[in-house]
Amino acid sequence: MNGFALKTMPSPAPQKAEPRRRLHPLTFVIILFGVALFLQSAIVVHARPQDLITGAAGIADIVSRSMPPDFAGLPDALWPALETIDMGLFGTAIALIFALPLSLFAARNTTPAKPLYFLARGLIALARVVPDLVWALIFVAAVGLGPFPGALAIVIHSLGMMGRLFAETIEDIDMGPVEALTMTGASRLAVFTHGIIPTVIPSLLGITLYRLDENIRSSLILGFVGAGGIGFQLLTAMNLFQYRTVSMLLILTFIIVVGAERISAALRQRIA
Amino acid sequence: MSRPLIDVSSLAMRYPTGRMALTEANLTLSAGELVVILGANGCGKSTLLRCIAGMLKPTSGQIQVAGKPISSLSGRALADARMALGMVFQNANLVKRRSVIANVLAGTLGRHRTLATSLGFLPQGERSFAEACLAEVGLQSFAAQRAGTLSGGQAQRASVARALAQRPLALLADEPVASLDPEASEELMTLLRRVAHEDGLGVLCVLHQPDLARRYADRILGLKDGRVQFNDKPADVAEVAVAALYTKTPEPVAA
Repeated sequence: MNGFALKTMPSPAPQKAEPRRRLHPLTFVIILFGVALFLQSAIVVHARPQDLITGAAGIADIVSRSMPPDFAGLPDALWPALETIDMGLFGTAIALIFALPLSLFAARNTTPAKPLYFLARGLIALARVVPDLVWALIFVAAVGLGPFPGALAIVIHSLGMMGRLFAETIEDIDMGPVEALTMTGASRLAVFTHGIIPTVIPSLLGITLYRLDENIRSSLILGFVGAGGIGFQLLTAMNLFQYRTVSMLLILTFIIVVGAERISAALRQRIA
Repeated sequence: MSRPLIDVSSLAMRYPTGRMALTEANLTLSAGELVVILGANGCGKSTLLRCIAGMLKPTSGQIQVAGKPISSLSGRALADARMALGMVFQNANLVKRRSVIANVLAGTLGRHRTLATSLGFLPQGERSFAEACLAEVGLQSFAAQRAGTLSGGQAQRASVARALAQRPLALLADEPVASLDPEASEELMTLLRRVAHEDGLGVLCVLHQPDLARRYADRILGLKDGRVQFNDKPADVAEVAVAALYTKTPEPVAA
């Protein structure tokens, strides 16, 4: 221990370092608490590593039954694939249109009145804290099966996410130009479009593109609750034990997700 | 001489904390005149300027800007009265991602309150006038450049061009050279003096530098603890009077 301290500290200070090495009682309590927290979670989730070992055979069985992927079904999967992508596109576009004005009300420095601020923040919180899967369940119940309820779910959930990030971006801007334009006698709206929009547009576009990527991924999941697209195909194939179709769909999913991520990242790099 | 552009009489400003930021402040600014307000930090300089610009409501007293009682106006009437005042801030406050000429054009927005400008379009009919304003500050060759690429001195001059594009009667400058190097400071003060003497605008400028004030001002107004100490031509202002502005008076003990 002493040798280690000497190596790292060239100055002759091993004695000085001695009291520093002692654990603060509070640190000890926090570490103990963290360990206890983890242990209870392991118990609650029935974490039994041996199940993985006994289940390995099952996994191997499924993998072998899903090989080779059945590409004969690919043409039938293309339309659902388009549905999945379009749910994300449509949902993001509509969310963007509504998030822009909403974020103005929800940013402390641009809100026209305090009550509107709280209202906007409340709407955003509600849209955000309810997971998109739950929104999809609600909309499937309301408008029936298909991609439209999925798109609606994405609109609402992204409206919350984008509204909050937009509002935070607006709150972070330098208010100097806004003050300067206000003093030129420009209208309130003109101050916004000339003073704030040009400043925040790259960030807002970046957030939107990031969201588009997320939304295409989540529209895959939404299919599982009946909101159309690849997800729904995947669920059906699983239920019919068509594992070779499942593996084909997973490959297609992988291509869509990686493609969306790459395109979104490339575009974001462009505007940065 | 005609009526002054800005006429401030017995202005008082009390902050919610009870501290008096201004007491019995009187000030006039005429066309073609460069008046410098000098004083230490917290003496009420910025408060005075903000009251004149209608950004703060004074506790009592009158402020006339081009004949309009700016401190009792609000909303559209206040915006109209402010059109007579061009502001130059401590920081240039340009929209950095826009071109220099777009920033200057934005100074004309008060005259063009249309749907198009509300949607973010610039009043293109003003382009040649905006270019003339840029030429006035010596930046015509920077028109197409992004404002964020300008140096501190250039950015501050561009902000003067934006203020001029507003066609104001007076300029209010709040420590416009605070973040500039000495050379850029001289350039800016020369520009402000020319705007006053040649274009006939009234210029009211808050400064921290007594030497700049002496060399450029037509009149210096000394402010200390919210009270006007002197208001004279630079030649008539004694060194000791200026020095006295910066000596600390003990904080009055609250009763």
